[in-house]
Amino acid sequence: MLNQAFEALKKFDFGTPLSELQAIEDAVIGAHGDSTLRSDLEARLIAALGTDISRDAKDYVCRKLAVIGSSAAVSALADLMSSEANAHLARHALERIPGPEAAAALATAVTSLNGKLKIGAIASIGARGDAAGVAALASLLQDTDAVVARAAAMSLGSIGGSEAAAALQAAAQSATGGKGFLMDALLSCAESLLRTNKVEAATAIYQSLAGDQPSRLIRLAATRGLLACAAKA
Amino acid sequence: MVLPRPGSIRKNQRAGSADVGAGDSRRQFLKAASVATFGVPYLITSSALGSGDRPAASDRIVMGGIGIGNMGRGDQEAFLGRGDIQYVATCDVRDANREQSKARIDDRYKNKDCQAYRDFRELLARPDIDAVHIATPDHWHAIMVIEACRNGKDVYCQKPETLTLREGPLMVAAARRYGRIVSGGSQRVLEDYRRFVEPAWAGEFGTIQSINVNVGPLPQLCNLGQEEMGEKIDWDMWLGPAAWAPYNSKRCSGSFSINGASWRSFSDYSGGGMTDWGAHHFGGATFICDVRSLQPSEVVYHEQSDGKWLGYHYPNGLTIHHNKPGSDNLQIVGTPGEQLPGKPVPAYKGTGGIYGDFIHCVKSRETPFRDIEYAVNTCVLAHLGNIAYQLKRSLQWDAAAQQFSDDAEANRLVDRGRREPWQL
Repeated sequence: MLNQAFEALKKFDFGTPLSELQAIEDAVIGAHGDSTLRSDLEARLIAALGTDISRDAKDYVCRKLAVIGSSAAVSALADLMSSEANAHLARHALERIPGPEAAAALATAVTSLNGKLKIGAIASIGARGDAAGVAALASLLQDTDAVVARAAAMSLGSIGGSEAAAALQAAAQSATGGKGFLMDALLSCAESLLRTNKVEAATAIYQSLAGDQPSRLIRLAATRGLLACAAKA
Repeated sequence: MVLPRPGSIRKNQRAGSADVGAGDSRRQFLKAASVATFGVPYLITSSALGSGDRPAASDRIVMGGIGIGNMGRGDQEAFLGRGDIQYVATCDVRDANREQSKARIDDRYKNKDCQAYRDFRELLARPDIDAVHIATPDHWHAIMVIEACRNGKDVYCQKPETLTLREGPLMVAAARRYGRIVSGGSQRVLEDYRRFVEPAWAGEFGTIQSINVNVGPLPQLCNLGQEEMGEKIDWDMWLGPAAWAPYNSKRCSGSFSINGASWRSFSDYSGGGMTDWGAHHFGGATFICDVRSLQPSEVVYHEQSDGKWLGYHYPNGLTIHHNKPGSDNLQIVGTPGEQLPGKPVPAYKGTGGIYGDFIHCVKSRETPFRDIEYAVNTCVLAHLGNIAYQLKRSLQWDAAAQQFSDDAEANRLVDRGRREPWQL
């Protein structure tokens, strides 16, 4: 059955009944706890990505690798990052594969890609929540493309913590245009610090935002944060 | 440092288009104009000053709506019918919905003032808008709710409020960060299950051991083929953060089908019947059992000859069953012979059902009945269930960490990648 499903994958496209791939679906679930089965299945999925299958079929494979993929799949997925057709679901898989290989692939993509694909890679680093991605993102906060800078700030906010906050604060001090997205990301960092009981660090961020800010929304948010810090101190 | 109590915030700060302050400017203009002595009869209309049950313009909540399909239209009409609302903007990626919506609003006010948008970001950027209602397909909810909060808007969001487990805490965090009123959109939670809620809160069941919810089906991956586009729709924007797919009328139909004939059926846009009706039934169950603020710690997967079913175990000892064979929907197992002390049943504030509750809370800054945190906790049940059925195994859920314990594969299903350029 599994062989038939992989054979069907070669012709799979939008409009093909998904039932033709049911054996792959079952194998992905059935491989739980069986590293040999899982590795074999992963290898077949990776091999399929290297063939001339449809966009839809590659997307399907990426969805499966998102569940069972390992560092072995990173290279094949990274190759799709520059494809407008498949970059999204390749990132979907890379966001979920643990380990430094997937993180490095996304960091490389950030430097090599442009436009929406670059923004996608930035977003995926944030979604991984991996502190190792902070340096790559920090350098983008001053990007001349405001959309890139905003995406980097949002990802730093998702990662949270002191290092991300420091990068955001430095960018906020030198920013000349709109700072709203930097402030929002900083608030997010402060919340992450507060959650991990780093009250002093969170307080410092909130204090920096509660003062002479042109945005009343941010001032009030920072003041709420200070009250939360006081309650936890 | 003392903050003003929410209810004591100056009226013109009330709904907090708190950032740029153009909302203030509008109200300040009207107030200043109303006391001016020069040319007043020619500047101020009776509509602006208010009359009867219609408050003066400066006291109305300025609203916009995003996603004006089947549910969105109903929500819009409910808000539009209220005298304390000034509805000024509408947004939909379907031309027909957008144009009909604008016509409806303009007809209501006998003018042409309503602005119509295809891109929700333009609507949310307007500083004069206090609150929005959102009724797009579910894959847009989190992005829009969070962006609305960032822009200082209060939000009424249709159910199911979330598409993934990760989205919920981020939506709650955005609401709390910016002090926004964010209400979920299941009116049934309070209105449909009173025959269970009232005796449960009166203590008549004793300690509730379990309650069963029958709902479904699970969502399915959509692989429908390309169709000719028989409508004017911004397809890229409809898909938004979801995976690219060709236009197909069933893929994007807003009908209430959960069996393959609408987006509600498909996992890229919805949690299927589990979330669509689950938002009501699971919401009712958690209300009946007064666990709206909790999430389960475990979901136990059962597979036997008469079907697959689940048991959600809560830290307080309660079990919510899903599709337990032989059990009716909302069948309660209490503790015979035990009478617990009664407690008052929460109710909507204001007038006008769940919509009135939301508007009352926008004005008063009280917590709405269907606060986003309660709505998120309800959706968690549906998402956990979908994942357990997909993986065919029991799962331990660490609610504090928002992760599964000791199940790396399940943790890969907590969220999904978003199509560029969208991100949370």
